[in-house]
Amino acid sequence: MSEKIYACLLKLFPSRFRREYQREALQLFRDRLRDERGIARRLRLCVDLVTDLIIGLPLAYQNSFSAGSEPSLAPNGPGALPFQVLHNDPLRPGAILLGTVLAFSAILTFSWVMGRDIGERLTPPNQLTSPIERVMQRLNQPQQLDTSTQTPAQAKASGTANVSSQTQANPQAHSRPPQESVRAQEPVPAGAPVAAPAQRLAISPASSRSSETASGSRLLSTGADAIALRFAAGKSAASQPSRNGAVISVAPASDAFAPRAPTTAHYAAAAIAQTNPANAMPMSQPNVENATQAMVRLMRAHQVVMFGETHGNQQEYEWLCSLVKDPVFASQVDDIVVEFGNSLYQKTVDRYIAGGDVPQEQIEKAWRNVIGAVGPVSPVYGWFYKAVRDSNLQRPGGHKIRIVLGDPYGDWEKIHNAEDLGPYLAHRDEWYAQVVKDAVLAPHHRALLVMGAGHFLRRSGPGLVERAIRAAGVQPYLVVFGTNAVGAYADLDHRFDAWKAPAIVTLQGNWVGELPANPVLTGGVVAPNAQKMEDVADAMLYVGSRDTLTQVNVPPSGLLDTAYGKEVERRLQIQTGRTMEFTQPLEEPQFHRPLQQVSSNGVHLTPPNPPRSIHDQLPPRPPSQ
Amino acid sequence: MPKRRLDPLPAAAFQILLALADGELHGYAIMRQVEQQTNGRMRLGPGTLYSSIQAMLQDGLIEEVGRDDQSESGRERRRIYRWTTSGRKLARSEADRLADLLRVARAKRILRGDYV
Repeated sequence: MSEKIYACLLKLFPSRFRREYQREALQLFRDRLRDERGIARRLRLCVDLVTDLIIGLPLAYQNSFSAGSEPSLAPNGPGALPFQVLHNDPLRPGAILLGTVLAFSAILTFSWVMGRDIGERLTPPNQLTSPIERVMQRLNQPQQLDTSTQTPAQAKASGTANVSSQTQANPQAHSRPPQESVRAQEPVPAGAPVAAPAQRLAISPASSRSSETASGSRLLSTGADAIALRFAAGKSAASQPSRNGAVISVAPASDAFAPRAPTTAHYAAAAIAQTNPANAMPMSQPNVENATQAMVRLMRAHQVVMFGETHGNQQEYEWLCSLVKDPVFASQVDDIVVEFGNSLYQKTVDRYIAGGDVPQEQIEKAWRNVIGAVGPVSPVYGWFYKAVRDSNLQRPGGHKIRIVLGDPYGDWEKIHNAEDLGPYLAHRDEWYAQVVKDAVLAPHHRALLVMGAGHFLRRSGPGLVERAIRAAGVQPYLVVFGTNAVGAYADLDHRFDAWKAPAIVTLQGNWVGELPANPVLTGGVVAPNAQKMEDVADAMLYVGSRDTLTQVNVPPSGLLDTAYGKEVERRLQIQTGRTMEFTQPLEEPQFHRPLQQVSSNGVHLTPPNPPRSIHDQLPPRPPSQ
Repeated sequence: MPKRRLDPLPAAAFQILLALADGELHGYAIMRQVEQQTNGRMRLGPGTLYSSIQAMLQDGLIEEVGRDDQSESGRERRRIYRWTTSGRKLARSEADRLADLLRVARAKRILRGDYV
């Protein structure tokens, strides 16, 4: 270390020290340089000087500050005001410059830190958060219903007692024998009895389809033959939506969210609730945000964003496809966990979205072989896979999005009857949650979860998937698909007309959040109940007025006399004991008027009993294909 | 009575006082003396040495007695220091305190040998 370097280091000492001892210190340094020769001694000298800097600097500054507390000069003698005399040297230009730079740096750093979304960095890799971070997480967490904090009185008042959630939350309930009845999902004419006999599977062979209900059940949209299934089983209360309008729901029939016929009383109650001045509260306007920009913002703020979709909707999936191609979104999302993907085909999908040469008939197995699908699977899911692949290919060398398949790994080639199917059907939510934990939460990825809205809705608290995420210390954000249907089927809210779709609106503290959840979520097919939109989700995706929304189907040409059509018929036979006619058009309205959904002949066939294997655990996972 | 800055007495300051027990010394000589009396375990750097000297001067434990015109280089006039009565008393007090500690340590059989 040369004398010049040491002279520079001495500038770190306070000016008073340097003024009094700089020359001495330099002299001592020169003395040691002169006396201590050789590599070892010089090295020791350097170590000594560095150590001396660490120890001597605080001491020098302590002395410097102590000098300031010397008895004050009181030139006017006793009785005069005392004044502390600080250093009499003016500040040097270098000190002023250094101070200015440090001050600006501090201001810029503070501004940058305050401008950042805190949620982005709140979960360190080891998942240990400081008390301050935990408080900030809680502040950032959107308000929502939580069964853990909801009093029985509140639960009763909200009318959200939901057997599905209760059975999921209470393992003992799983061992309870199924006593609930199985009911058909299709809407019934007003005034018609709703509940079906216990242990019966109602199949409505109506040439209609319906939307996903608030209970997570999928009203069928297979076009020619709408089928809704509900296995009455105490094993699992998870709803089991299917592709393209078909659904298998495994839920007790006492589910408070089970769709009921929209009776006059329902609509009257909803109308009263909306028009009674006593209930009228000042509602603020929602912040209608461009859906893509909003999702980018949400992904920045939350490690996990859950999107509750409506199956097969064209406008919704056109937006999702554009979303994954947005470069900002693509750069910040690691995984998209989808319900419409059988885990068995993860390797194939990984190859495909990475740009690999995968034959169409091989890749489409991922979404066509989903366990919960009843009937032909909408082509919109193929669009989505391709969009992710295109997005990855458009950004060579950039961050890649991965599609993680969240449906159980049942192999339809090995499923020959309902007993083979049962374990997979009963654990669809559990498996999805496990996939999220393994593929997203464990490696601390940022992910968008896409699943039927019924799986994600907060009925009497967060659903199974959301609970699993929260248990891992991550606070997800929930966006659900919604429309402008706010009451009866014909009751469209024209306040939505001013919105530019696609848009995402938050639901807390505005009139959208106050809307009854059921009709908004189901296009007016399901009657209102006590829950509001703000109860069931954090935000809503709006892709257009209800009557402009279309569902995309597999056209008859893709099913008649084709291998896929025959396989769909085989699966339907396993799932429902019946087959269907493939007459649905390529596109049709997403939400049909409820009265039109009644079967033409009104016949409700007695369904087969649910398989006993629905109580079985999932079999071991086979190697991915 | 105002509190001294060097209360408790830091090890470096005590070593400097001990070094000055042999007579008046300039800074470099103090450093060498300290190194010698600690068997090389303590080598005071310029910052530590002169910060300690500064504090000891302010506390009146040592005083500057002038400049050494007979420096080895012949170019620099070095400041010469010696301890004051207060410094000597404090050094003795500190040595007594350490001796008491040593006696306790020996009584507790932590230390062996009959010196100290």
